[in-house]
Amino acid sequence: MSINLKPRLEGKVCIVTGAGMHDDLGGTGMATAVSLAREGAKVLVADISEKNATNTVQVIRNENFGQAELFIGDATSEEESKAMIENAENQFGRLDVLVNNLGYGGPTRRRNKLKQSYSLDESRGITEIDKQNWAAAFDMNLNSAMLASRHAIPIMAKTGGGSIINVSSCDAISSSLNYDASYAVSKGALHMLTRSTAAWHGRQGIRANCIAPGHLHSSFSNHFDPDLRERRKQIVPLGTEGTPWDVAMAAVFLASDESRWISGIIMPVDGGLFAAQPILAHDFITKQKTK
Amino acid sequence: MSINLKPRLEGKVCIVTGGNSGMGASTVELFLKEGARVVIAARGEEAGQALAKRLGENAIFHRTDVSVETDVKALVEATMAECGRVDVLFNNAGIAQGYVPVEEFTMEDFDTLFKANLASCFLGIKYAVPIMKQQGGGSIINNGSVAGVITEGSGPLYSGTKAAVIHMTKVWATELAEHRIRVNCISPGAIITPIFWGGHQTQSDEENSLRTQRLTEFYDDDLGLGAGTPEDIAYAALYLASDESRHTTGLNMRVDAGLTCHNRPWRDIISRSEKRNKQIEGG
Repeated sequence: MSINLKPRLEGKVCIVTGAGMHDDLGGTGMATAVSLAREGAKVLVADISEKNATNTVQVIRNENFGQAELFIGDATSEEESKAMIENAENQFGRLDVLVNNLGYGGPTRRRNKLKQSYSLDESRGITEIDKQNWAAAFDMNLNSAMLASRHAIPIMAKTGGGSIINVSSCDAISSSLNYDASYAVSKGALHMLTRSTAAWHGRQGIRANCIAPGHLHSSFSNHFDPDLRERRKQIVPLGTEGTPWDVAMAAVFLASDESRWISGIIMPVDGGLFAAQPILAHDFITKQKTK
Repeated sequence: MSINLKPRLEGKVCIVTGGNSGMGASTVELFLKEGARVVIAARGEEAGQALAKRLGENAIFHRTDVSVETDVKALVEATMAECGRVDVLFNNAGIAQGYVPVEEFTMEDFDTLFKANLASCFLGIKYAVPIMKQQGGGSIINNGSVAGVITEGSGPLYSGTKAAVIHMTKVWATELAEHRIRVNCISPGAIITPIFWGGHQTQSDEENSLRTQRLTEFYDDDLGLGAGTPEDIAYAALYLASDESRHTTGLNMRVDAGLTCHNRPWRDIISRSEKRNKQIEGG
């Protein structure tokens, strides 16, 4: 064939937060970092855990394509976030793509609640809000993205612009009973951060978009029991769980110049969950619960 | 280099309606480049045959009026006869109508617009779906519009047809998901193509170029990402057509430089842009 296919992100410098790999399943951050590198990008793999970040960097280096360096830091700290952005610029000379992938469901839910059984009584609604958890969720899911964006934008603007990709959740579109309310609320705010970034900084050449993953089978949900996973599959129209790689392919598209005229959008990668009116999904879960 | 770069639509058979010009033609070219066989469906026989000839053996033209049921049926049958399968259907064809006050709408306008913009999607899906079900899946892409999301800046009835397309995308996505048939929608902002300048009603070159200039300026000054081109839509279609988006269905992907993500009254911007044009003209 005479067609010359080129890597889609050749020469682009990208940062992915929460990009470590802490089990074989991998998460959206790891899959995104690897997929960006597979398209020729130079990727700064940022994570709070050195071990996990090293795992991801190793995967990329083993594939012998693209480039990977690691950055260890806490993205909820402004100083460390700034250092992360500067690190990318110093190492690679510019910054084109920032993937704010970092996210967290809250310590209580994650470690104790869903692991055992799924029951409405154990979920944490507005009346049970734990202020500390609430603040932690906003730090992780919203503020980390804001901090990284505010330091990345001026650097991206120097070379004519860049692409910021936030990663939220289907729970940000319609509230969920699965997780602590702080999760859905902070992820919902991330959608508005995305639109505001697009609106305020479009003229600097900055694009901002958000991927809203649906029910994925990844290290984030690795601890869900088989029964919950089965129910999650059933409420998704396509009938399957997504994988971190589905989110990664969406990120590659939004990172590349192929999407140069796309900004301010929320892009579900959710097997059709959102199209199907999640009202039905909730009905389904409730029925299961009262059985 | 250890990474194998593969064409993203290798082995796929794609139908692109309205494939003769604008976003359709761009999509046809990109799909071909990514290894697909493409059936160009459009009304203009001469232009279509010439385009297919220029693009090579993987491009086939089939004369189709997408608002005529027998035409669409014949299109799908011809695709099956020629290529043996249908993996992707891009319901791109449509017509536009400028502003008409509601009391001046005629039932004829109504029929024409809904047939060309909504029935065309429905008919394509009706005839492609049985084949996709048999194949075990497929990807359908409808062409909506930001006019279906916001209410200003385009013809009111046009806006209604596109809103219907966006909603039906979700309805069909839900209905067809169990057969692994994905249905998504692209909603372009004002892309520099002939349809934006009045669609089937041709305007003078002078008028077209003034509007092009105004639109480019508007997108550039107010949103910062320049004017939208047919290629921007083609790349969105490529993502939705390929297996990269296998977990995405029912999505309305806006390709609009951020136009619809914030509160800027469209009419204000246009009039501001007009004012600026006048200033430029007046020196």
